[in-house]
Amino acid sequence: MDDQLVPDKAVQNMRRILDNKEIVAIIAPAGSGPSLATMDMLEADGRPTCNPLAQSPSVIYPKGKEQPPRKNVVSMAITNESEANRLGQILGKQYKNIGVIHESTAYGVTGAELVKKSITATNASAKVQIESYNQRSQDMTSQVARLQRSQVDAILVVGLGADFAVIRKNMSRANVKVPLFGSTGAVTSPYLEGAGDLAIGTRSVSPDAFGKRPLSAYAQNFVDQYRAAYGTDRWYGSDAANPQISMAAVVGNAYDCAVVLLDAIRRAGSTEPAAVIAALNQTKGLAGIAVPSITLTAELHEAFKPEDLGLFEINKSATGALYLKPVVE
Amino acid sequence: MDFFLSLVIAGACVGSVYALVAVGLNLTFWTTKTLNFGQGAVMMLCAISTALLTAQGLSNGAGIIAGIAIVALVGVIVERIAVRPALKTAGSMGWVIATLGFGILLQGITSKFFGSQAIPFPEVLFTVQDVIDIGGQNISLQYVSIFVVSILIIVVLEGLTRYTVLGTAIRGTAQDMELAIVQGLPVNLIVSGSFVLSSIMAGIAGILTAQISGTVDPAFGFELVLMGFVAAVLGGMGSSAGALVGGIIVGIIGKLVGGYISTAAEHGIAFALLIMMLALRPEGFFGRAEVTKA
Repeated sequence: MDDQLVPDKAVQNMRRILDNKEIVAIIAPAGSGPSLATMDMLEADGRPTCNPLAQSPSVIYPKGKEQPPRKNVVSMAITNESEANRLGQILGKQYKNIGVIHESTAYGVTGAELVKKSITATNASAKVQIESYNQRSQDMTSQVARLQRSQVDAILVVGLGADFAVIRKNMSRANVKVPLFGSTGAVTSPYLEGAGDLAIGTRSVSPDAFGKRPLSAYAQNFVDQYRAAYGTDRWYGSDAANPQISMAAVVGNAYDCAVVLLDAIRRAGSTEPAAVIAALNQTKGLAGIAVPSITLTAELHEAFKPEDLGLFEINKSATGALYLKPVVE
Repeated sequence: MDFFLSLVIAGACVGSVYALVAVGLNLTFWTTKTLNFGQGAVMMLCAISTALLTAQGLSNGAGIIAGIAIVALVGVIVERIAVRPALKTAGSMGWVIATLGFGILLQGITSKFFGSQAIPFPEVLFTVQDVIDIGGQNISLQYVSIFVVSILIIVVLEGLTRYTVLGTAIRGTAQDMELAIVQGLPVNLIVSGSFVLSSIMAGIAGILTAQISGTVDPAFGFELVLMGFVAAVLGGMGSSAGALVGGIIVGIIGKLVGGYISTAAEHGIAFALLIMMLALRPEGFFGRAEVTKA
């Protein structure tokens, strides 16, 4: 079911799913807004649920990391914390005056706060200026002009691909040429398609699954099966030999959710929620795509680890296609 | 100064698109005293149609013409199935809900058939890198062209309604529909025509805005129609000059607030202006207070 990232639609969709008693496990909506809108319903329902994409920490830990997670909800998504830590360390080491533009959602707000914390922890003298925007804003001149006036030496965008393209275009119009970084959610197909060649040089952290050569046997098998089923679609990219790095974050996380839920059902030998949840909490070293080794416990419901992220830069291939290239730090 | 100028230029450009939307809303207000709250979906449909058709190999010009033709047809349909039946009932709730519902339906159909992901929009008026230097300030030609096209369309439309027979007929229908019928004016055709023109205005606004953002998706246009509504109320409902001034004021003040105070307040300020105007001068800058004879 498609909620178009609209929380109200996500609630309607989830109601329909929960009303169907034949469904034994659920993959939650994409995005922090729709996920937060539906998590209480899912928790009250009690059926095993996996979050593929929402990065806001409160999706899994509504009362903070110090308190236990929601019992029936596990996550394969990149966590805001791991992403912010990696980005904050990279930016803090290289730049002194950093601008952060974030979307005004739970994902964007927490992401920007965590990045700021990580930058100042890496470099106490670094200045961080934060600006926000509403999703689907058609013009970001104010945000870019404010950062330009502050003479930032790098800009990070915490948001989604289409909005990132708007920001990149505004930067070009305002002749802002500082290094540009994006969160994982920002450097996706809509950004590459919307910004075109302007996207070249943009750096981002993303799950490392498709960045290594040779691919692991597990990742290669996944890639081959995906291509056989869907071809070189917009998530896979046009280069059959090299799937887009961002596919690991979009398709890979959701696949990992299916893998972890099916594995738990198999081990539980039942679809009864309590048995499946108990099995989920004993998942150890299960092979996945975005999360190469999935481990969960009763306290740890987020499988993604900071070391699962790699640093990438957008390049242009000889055929003219844009792709993410691993960066050696 | 550069900072101030860049905000004003972007604000005037975005504001001119709001003005175009406001003029579109005014057109149907003149003839039927209704507003098409589904205009946002019309903008989206025109921009998405253009993007999809050009991606299939159609030239930019042909894609735009086809997109505008599609939304012109939508204008006829919205008037026939959402507005005309609703006007037979008392009060305004009927057409408000019907036009909103029509917009949501259009959005749903587009999502169903073309997906809800953002798709790239071609650069039809210059490229992002095209700039001119005015007084040492780099000004984007895309912004300039959007401003010029919007103003040109509004001026032509204003001339059309003021100085042509068609315009006289529209104004006659606006003033007294029953008398217009008695005079033999094709009122139904004029009303349909106003919805077609309104949809065309929305379609052009959609294309111009997609030019700035670079992508379109089914949720595109909703915020624009709200801003267009604010512009129309500020300027005075039914006034083209008012729509133009209102749109540019909303655009520039939004950017200045975003630039000097907080980017988080950029969009909220438009609605603060709307509330202030409704409280202090409900008829807007260029509107005239309505007098009802007993």
